[in-house]
Amino acid sequence: MSFLKIAAASMALAFVSSQVIADPIIDKAAPVFSGKAADGSTINLADLKGKTVVLEWTNHDCPYVIKHYESGNIPKLQKEALAKDVVWLQVISSAPGEQGFVDGAKAQKVNEYRNSVPTNTILDPEGTIGKLYGAKTTPHLYVINPEGSLVYKGGIDSIKSSKQQDIPDATNYVRETLDALAAGKKVPHPSTAPYGCSIKYAS
Amino acid sequence: MINLLHRLNRYLTLSAPVATALIALLFVSSAQAISDTAATPQVQAQLVASVTNVQPGEEIYLGVHQKIIPHWHTYWINPGDSGNATTIEWTLPEGASASDIIWPAPSRFSMGPITNYAYENDVTLLTKIKIPDSVKPGEQFTAQALVDWLVCEEECIPQQVELALSLPVVAAGESLGAGDARIDDALARLPVASPWDVHASQTAIDPTTGQGELTLHIALTAAQLEQVTDIWFYPYDWGRIQQSVEQLRKSFDGGITLTIKTGEAPLSIGDAVTGVLVITEKTGDAAVQKVARGFEINTPVQPLGSANAALGFFSALLLALVGGIILNLMPCVFPVLSIKALSLVSHSNQSAAQIRSHGVIYTLGVLASFAFLALLLIALKAGGAQIGWGFQFQSPLFVLAVAYLMFAVGLSLSGVFFIGGSVTGVGSSLTEKPGYTGSFFTGVLATIVATPCTAPFMAAALGYALVQPAFKLLAIFLSLGLGLSLPYLLLTCWPRLQRWLPRPGLWMERAKQFLAFPMYAAAIWLVWVLVQQAGVNSIVVALGGMLLIAIAAWLYDITLPGSARVRNTGTISALALLLLALVIGYFGVNNANQNVGNAAAGGAQKAAEQNWEPYSEARLNELLREGKPVFLNFTASWCISCLVNERVALSDAKVKATFKENNITYLKGDWTNRDLAITQFLQKFDRSGVPLYVFYPAGKADQPAELPQILTPDMVIAAVTNSISH
Repeated sequence: MSFLKIAAASMALAFVSSQVIADPIIDKAAPVFSGKAADGSTINLADLKGKTVVLEWTNHDCPYVIKHYESGNIPKLQKEALAKDVVWLQVISSAPGEQGFVDGAKAQKVNEYRNSVPTNTILDPEGTIGKLYGAKTTPHLYVINPEGSLVYKGGIDSIKSSKQQDIPDATNYVRETLDALAAGKKVPHPSTAPYGCSIKYAS
Repeated sequence: MINLLHRLNRYLTLSAPVATALIALLFVSSAQAISDTAATPQVQAQLVASVTNVQPGEEIYLGVHQKIIPHWHTYWINPGDSGNATTIEWTLPEGASASDIIWPAPSRFSMGPITNYAYENDVTLLTKIKIPDSVKPGEQFTAQALVDWLVCEEECIPQQVELALSLPVVAAGESLGAGDARIDDALARLPVASPWDVHASQTAIDPTTGQGELTLHIALTAAQLEQVTDIWFYPYDWGRIQQSVEQLRKSFDGGITLTIKTGEAPLSIGDAVTGVLVITEKTGDAAVQKVARGFEINTPVQPLGSANAALGFFSALLLALVGGIILNLMPCVFPVLSIKALSLVSHSNQSAAQIRSHGVIYTLGVLASFAFLALLLIALKAGGAQIGWGFQFQSPLFVLAVAYLMFAVGLSLSGVFFIGGSVTGVGSSLTEKPGYTGSFFTGVLATIVATPCTAPFMAAALGYALVQPAFKLLAIFLSLGLGLSLPYLLLTCWPRLQRWLPRPGLWMERAKQFLAFPMYAAAIWLVWVLVQQAGVNSIVVALGGMLLIAIAAWLYDITLPGSARVRNTGTISALALLLLALVIGYFGVNNANQNVGNAAAGGAQKAAEQNWEPYSEARLNELLREGKPVFLNFTASWCISCLVNERVALSDAKVKATFKENNITYLKGDWTNRDLAITQFLQKFDRSGVPLYVFYPAGKADQPAELPQILTPDMVIAAVTNSISH
């Protein structure tokens, strides 16, 4: 391979690398971040040690997100989580002008009418947190245990469709993971295929 | 009330696209009875068939054709980082069955860090349908399809349509009709079996990054690779690879490797890598600039360390060195070296410094020879030749020459003739010179006799070397040379080692005579190689030549003790016989070579394996004058599409039978060297590249039909039979 070709390939790789999303690793420390929440406060993942944390990437206009909200699936999950003292953080990584982008006030209004009760909603319009976690779709779910290790990443459930009628037949991986954590058991499916619309990153 | 307003607000402003889609969907699906077409704002769908009529018990293709508005796309079976594959739910009459969707080769679309595997503009998703035996002629066979897809540009809209198609049932033997052309287009876009060997290996998953590397080795030739503008592996399953990361391409001896980062669900050793490799090739033709073909890949993941494991430069140097040392033990080299080593014993009257110098000069002889070989390879590679180690053995003349050399050296060791009468002379008067020249040429000789032999480790090192840039190739060859010369060099430099060498005696003579036998064995092996290349008759040529060499050696030897005139006569006769042997060898092998070529061609034609003739303008005109139908295929060895079309369509048994039945003469034009006559023919059809497929129907020399760039057997058969029937 000529030097020129190698040089070109390296440059291409460097360019691509800047675009590539790093994927966090199961059973390793979940990447820490701090982000601005919809209510104006700052949230640090590091401060949440000692609690189970769920990260939910969302985009209220995505048909797959709508499937899980209109059916009440995710709101129910959020209520169950809060009852178990689990911190549920929504993350919105849509870039300004893209589908799903909201400011703090709008984010709260959206949650209000869709009966969504997360602990908080993190606004990530630059996509930093999304790329840190390798988030690709909405919804895309991550569960972090009280010790700060990532124990689940992937889709919300096992049937990749946009139809509400598929929800009862599917295995809800988030519920499964939270139940396993509570019981001190091993998480049965730590990594599954996420599905949904692509996250509308800035670049 | 406010709640209601909020809800309305929500529908109108926040979920507008979804609401519109839902409303449109509602309208579409309830407005009329199910038909074979349906449309959403983004996709026009139609259910099409490969036939117009069906017969009981037959298999047909049904296809869901999606015409997608620009910039939007629907998804492949593995949609990539996001998205959802199209699904079809069939409702068929009792006894009928439908296969899974048969997917045409996909493309990829990236949006920032997210890559999807999908289709744009239009695609027909095929399904094979088995018609039950129970349907009767005169009835209608109705298939209903509930099709769900996700269509996205930046935003995504899940959509669903219902389609239905009714086809009349006819009796067996009646015409099935033409069917929709879009089915043929889809069949042409399906992935085909790969014409190249593909195997896969994967590194271990690094626990700190969670990633490994999957490498696909694809045996593309260098010439074919030059035509490739894009190559991508699309796995059928999610998570096998990082779907958006660039797949790195590297050349190696025998093809290319594609190195791909593993994804969230990597394969394990032994698992099958399944997916589609899509190669886009430039045709060098303004009219049709690029052609993309998909190739089915299904190969088990092998552990790393199997053939073609990544080798570092320094490991290769080391392997070459060790290989060189081991080479000393091989039957080709060992006799020469042992004699040389033993000569140290007989030269014990020389000073240690002189002996050391001999060793160094010998080493220089070896290194110079290896450098020469390396430079020869570099020059050949630069000239574009396909080089692998053992390239020299592709020339039967070279093989014959080395066989002669082995035989001659064996004769010398056996004592048939002695050049110079010194134990150090092992077949060449040059090596006998008791001086440094002798040592240098022994080094050269050692290299020459080493070339037929390979040692462990050598193959890996050489395989690596041959795809490296010039200076690395040279370095590895020199390392090999150093390894070869090392044992003797060490012997000459360390007097202590020499003490281990046994004292001279009769045993030396016996040992020398014994060592002739490995040389004869090497000669025998080389004759076998020659026979493979040049055919059975080359045995007579080779053995006859050896007979002449034996006579020459004997003549030379018996005249040595005589007077000057006798000696000269002897030498001249010997040289004459030697020359005769070489001349016979040259012509004998060349002729044999041609006979082999002809035999192969003749035998093949007899076996009807090769149903084509080489293209020539004269032959074409002759056939057209006679009013015979002619099928033309213009191809080149570097053209991937050509290769695939030949394998997939033109070598198909049904196609061959059709050609035979219709007395079609199949002419193949090889444009590998850009033959001018063929270039001119291409220009007649406004083409400047291959492949080009043209059919002249019988008696219609002025109405040639051009076939598409991507062939299927059915397409070829249709083209030739339709034209004939008109």
